[in-house]
Amino acid sequence: MGKKDDKKKGVRDDKFSRREFIVKGGSLVAGGIVTTYHAKDLLAAGTSPSEGYPKAKGHVEHDATLCSGCLSCMIACSLAHEGRVNLATSRIQISRYVFDDFPNDIMGFTCQQCDDPKCVENCPTGACHVDAENGNVRIIDKDKCVGCQTCFESCIHTPRRPVWDSQNEKATKCDLCTSAPYNSKSEPACVSICPQKALKFIG
Amino acid sequence: MASPGFAGKILKVDLTSKKIESIDTAKYEEFGGGYGTAIALFWDLCVKPGDWDLQDAYDPRNIISIMNGQVSGSGIPYAGRTSVSGLSPQGWPVNWFTRSNIGGDFGTMLKYAGWDGIVVQGRSDKPVYINIINDKVTLEDASKLWGLHTWDTQKEIARQQTGSEGDAKRDWRSIGSEFALNKPAIICTGQAGENLSRIASLQHGGGAAAGVGGFGGVFGSKKLKAISVIGTGGFKVADPKLLLETREWYTGSGGRPGGMGGFGGFGPQKAKSSCISCVRGCRTRGEAGSNDRDQDGCMETTWADIHKPAKKNEHDAKKANPLLQQYSLNAFDTCFGGIEFGPSGTDFPLETPEASGLGYYIKRLYDMGVIGPGKYATVNGKKISVDTAPLKMDEYGTYDFAETYAKTISNRKGFGDLIADGAVRFAEKIGRIDDLNGMLRCPAWGHTDHWSMAEVTWGYGDLMDSRDICDHVLQMVFMMLGMGGGAFGGGRKQQNQNPEEFVMKLTKAFVPYDDDPYMFDYSWDNDQAYKTGIYSDHKAKLVAWRMHYHTYYKESLMFCDWNWAKPTGMGEKGTPFGEPRLYNAVTGKNQTFLEGMEIGRKAWNLKRAIYALQGRHKENEKFAGYMYRPGASGASFTNTLPVYNGKTWSFENVGKMYLSEEGVETWKTHYYKLEGWDPNSGYPTQRTLEKLGIKGVADILKKNNKLGVA
Repeated sequence: MGKKDDKKKGVRDDKFSRREFIVKGGSLVAGGIVTTYHAKDLLAAGTSPSEGYPKAKGHVEHDATLCSGCLSCMIACSLAHEGRVNLATSRIQISRYVFDDFPNDIMGFTCQQCDDPKCVENCPTGACHVDAENGNVRIIDKDKCVGCQTCFESCIHTPRRPVWDSQNEKATKCDLCTSAPYNSKSEPACVSICPQKALKFIG
Repeated sequence: MASPGFAGKILKVDLTSKKIESIDTAKYEEFGGGYGTAIALFWDLCVKPGDWDLQDAYDPRNIISIMNGQVSGSGIPYAGRTSVSGLSPQGWPVNWFTRSNIGGDFGTMLKYAGWDGIVVQGRSDKPVYINIINDKVTLEDASKLWGLHTWDTQKEIARQQTGSEGDAKRDWRSIGSEFALNKPAIICTGQAGENLSRIASLQHGGGAAAGVGGFGGVFGSKKLKAISVIGTGGFKVADPKLLLETREWYTGSGGRPGGMGGFGGFGPQKAKSSCISCVRGCRTRGEAGSNDRDQDGCMETTWADIHKPAKKNEHDAKKANPLLQQYSLNAFDTCFGGIEFGPSGTDFPLETPEASGLGYYIKRLYDMGVIGPGKYATVNGKKISVDTAPLKMDEYGTYDFAETYAKTISNRKGFGDLIADGAVRFAEKIGRIDDLNGMLRCPAWGHTDHWSMAEVTWGYGDLMDSRDICDHVLQMVFMMLGMGGGAFGGGRKQQNQNPEEFVMKLTKAFVPYDDDPYMFDYSWDNDQAYKTGIYSDHKAKLVAWRMHYHTYYKESLMFCDWNWAKPTGMGEKGTPFGEPRLYNAVTGKNQTFLEGMEIGRKAWNLKRAIYALQGRHKENEKFAGYMYRPGASGASFTNTLPVYNGKTWSFENVGKMYLSEEGVETWKTHYYKLEGWDPNSGYPTQRTLEKLGIKGVADILKKNNKLGVA
């Protein structure tokens, strides 16, 4: 059994359903942070999460017709966040397969910072939240992530946009480099490094 | 523990015993990783046991090493290539230990899987491919892949490993506790390699190739069809913030520094395609129904396109191009003709162009009536058929001809069996080896001419190495300055340059010889040639610089030849400042440019010891005959070069340059002395090897009577 299944099993063995965890566990994650939006906050206020999340300041878009497939963006993403090169933890994923025909030979997958972020809505611990102090970006607090991968299953996109940090056994996702300690640029590391101008921040 | 940038271990696979091992990278770090480490691995695994004569590249004891570089995959641009080396079946008359080099992302994927390289030895009893998924390495049955061309091979392995050949809907796949989105990176050979052609390539992706050396044949000899790798891991760097900032410093904000780019395949690129971390993108992305996917702009594009003898129509040339990649043929050695930059840049007509490969050679022989339907040649009193069937020589230059040509070389049927080992061996088989004195332009060791002349240090490099060195550093300088003849400007800008100032400025980049401008004197047909020109000790320094630089920076760090070195025009981003700054940003070291050159020198000397054991000696280190005859420089586009007459510098057209045997012997003596080799034999000496910290090498040379006299 893989770690993914172990983690899910661990949550369920504790007799918590995801919704129960959100409601009952709410107080564990609410303290002091008034500028974040968790599903639990909105439920407590009687607001439908799908109607209530403030829009993110923007997202990164990939133009497959410009991309050269150099993967600099993926390298930069992992360097900016984890301080090591690891394409698997890159929040932007470029999939390249030269035997597919242009433009499907290169596909880019970026987090859309959804208006209705199911990853936030369904996160059982509040780790995945809306960070109002940083442009309402949808972000995962690693300290609170239990690695249950619910955000993976919740993501409406294929392939899902959260990625798995196997070293820490936690999920992570694009935060538009608002929490990237090694990025000294004002824009996301992937955008600033792209030599073909294939990535743009859409605000 | 290996330094930052390295994954930390090298994979060793023995196909005979099926044993899979791990070698500690740190043990070989002094050789710089990549090719330098591969030379040392060859020494340890093939030379030290002392149980064979190092002559046959198809001997199962031969190894093939496929290595990434220390900074590959780190985000440093132009540093993502992959080294391939081992005894080379193409080497003539000896299968010299040699190198090739391939773009794309195979090497970096290998690093992401946790490996700094892979060494394959032995011979499988049935076709296999090596499947690497991070730490998990298995040998997979390749019986059903045997006979497939390289594109179909890669598609089938992708299907086996990921459930689909590739489609528009891509999704994560679970690999143990990891997830992967991408298809595997695969290096493989086609039918030419399976049938032991000595000019068979290794292919990766649509068009990336390790063409030189015949390493496709080495795969074939080992019954190894492919290596597939999926890597989902990473590696540490010393200072990630500094690395990102250094990358930006080098490229500008999303910018691209100047330099030579690809020709972009056929016509304008729809979009660029890059090797990993590259900011230029010299390859093409293909559209549905087209054949130009993943091509770069050099020989694979020009193979059947711009060469005049083949250019019956561009459509056919374009359609023919993928045959190279699919059947796994070395583009340079099979090309249909030469790049005909003359005669505008030279003042005499060209009879034989540059890069006159096998295709061009057989056309010349056919036109001369030497080969063709029903023809025979007499070799040592014995008649042998030189019937060109199944080739239809009157269709030369068409797609149909190119397809038959590729197939007949690859399957060795009919005429193909005669030519499948390359032009020089073909000449030898039909009793025409004397063509090396004229139309068969292979300057040294059976490799087709590239830009060996008149910028003669390329040619000297070919001779001291074991192949066309394919090192464009000075071609870039002279071409980009508009000093070349023919298609690239015809010297239009040279009037704006002060020759002496130009030479003095250029010299500054060539550390540690940055006080010797006479390295750039191309005097050749008078006494000055021996004083400061092409036969002087000054030219020995420039060749030493090229070989040491190439061995470390280009083949071990895997810096791309189409960007490095940068001796002019780049200021602190160029040579000798840019290289160490980029390297140190990844590794956290404080390595100087000169220290890098010394690593290259050490590996170069170790390789020289291998050559000594293989039979290299001053007496056989000689150019092909045509290099000593008028016309040797006929096709180069860098014929306008600096010349010093003993008092002043000028730019002169030296397009008539050819070499004198006495002059070359004089130059060799200078070069051997500079390297610390025996001037009478060319063997490395004990003193030199000890100073380099490889005394054990001297001991083995001594035991084999191949140690030079100090």
